[in-house]
Amino acid sequence: MPEQLWFTKILNHLFAGPVNSLLHAFSITPKYPNAPIPNSLAMELLVFFFLLFLFLLVRSRLSVESPGGTQHLFEVVEGLIQNQSNEIIGHHSEGYTPFLATLAFFILLCNLIGVIPGFESPTAVPIVPLGCALCAFVYYQFQGFKHAGIGYLKHFAGPMPALAPLMIPIELISHLARVLSLTIRLFANMFAGDMVTLVFFSLVPLGVPILFLGLHVGVSLLQTYIFVLLTTVYLQGAVADEH
Amino acid sequence: MRLLSKLFMALSVLSFAVPAFAQGGTPSEVNWVAISAGFSMAFASGICALAQGKATAAAAEGLARNPAARPGIQLALILGLALIESLALYTLVIIFAKVK
Repeated sequence: MPEQLWFTKILNHLFAGPVNSLLHAFSITPKYPNAPIPNSLAMELLVFFFLLFLFLLVRSRLSVESPGGTQHLFEVVEGLIQNQSNEIIGHHSEGYTPFLATLAFFILLCNLIGVIPGFESPTAVPIVPLGCALCAFVYYQFQGFKHAGIGYLKHFAGPMPALAPLMIPIELISHLARVLSLTIRLFANMFAGDMVTLVFFSLVPLGVPILFLGLHVGVSLLQTYIFVLLTTVYLQGAVADEH
Repeated sequence: MRLLSKLFMALSVLSFAVPAFAQGGTPSEVNWVAISAGFSMAFASGICALAQGKATAAAAEGLARNPAARPGIQLALILGLALIESLALYTLVIIFAKVK
């Protein structure tokens, strides 16, 4: 019996049967058949449904004449992300704002949910930041192909055609290393924050862990910002026009 | 020259400890992975701190010379610090993956 959070227990109680059948269809046997849904997936689903509810709520309350508080908040977030993409990518970068804003909300909420007792950060297991990094990777490669067609592959050849046999493996490895570095940066920051708080909690149970929890909250915000900033920089590399 | 002679003197004093290898008894399992993990993490954190200090000093000086360029300098500083930090964190991840 694995250690389960209360929310994971509810999900496993309700959905263990269908999830097991789904996994068997792919010939995967879960380690604990009565609890196939791990904590990280349960927390991710919670964040997903909360964000879906929040976005639908804001969408239903949008108005031009009398914007409410939530509309102001979302306009501020959209302004931040759009200003940053305009600064980094340049013109015509409004199309990238939805993906970047969703990524920012998802990663921020996944990071911060671990602070609440009874919940756990899904980004503290390596697979969740890998998912976010793969989404960002597929997105910017797709935008590169959409912008330049098949000519996007020229980006991998380097500055001169004579250098192409040397540059192509280097560029491929560096693009894959971007996925690795995005994943490990987010995972290691969240995991280290948890570990450090736990270690100091085992040393001095009163007062000192609050400082590290505060640091963890600050690091969560910073790492979300860095993830979105780096995705914007990779987008700029993919869709930049070289005149 | 005097530094070199002091260095050699210190190294030769360390060789006085060699008879410790002559002690008998059952060989205990030394966890080399944990020892090298400690050293490597200290090394990584120290060099990361040096690099971040250099980046912060350059950003502070740039900001002092041209306060109007604050957005650009702030962006470069935050990006640079996060990238340097992530290099030290790669060492931590290896430690958590390999040390039992």
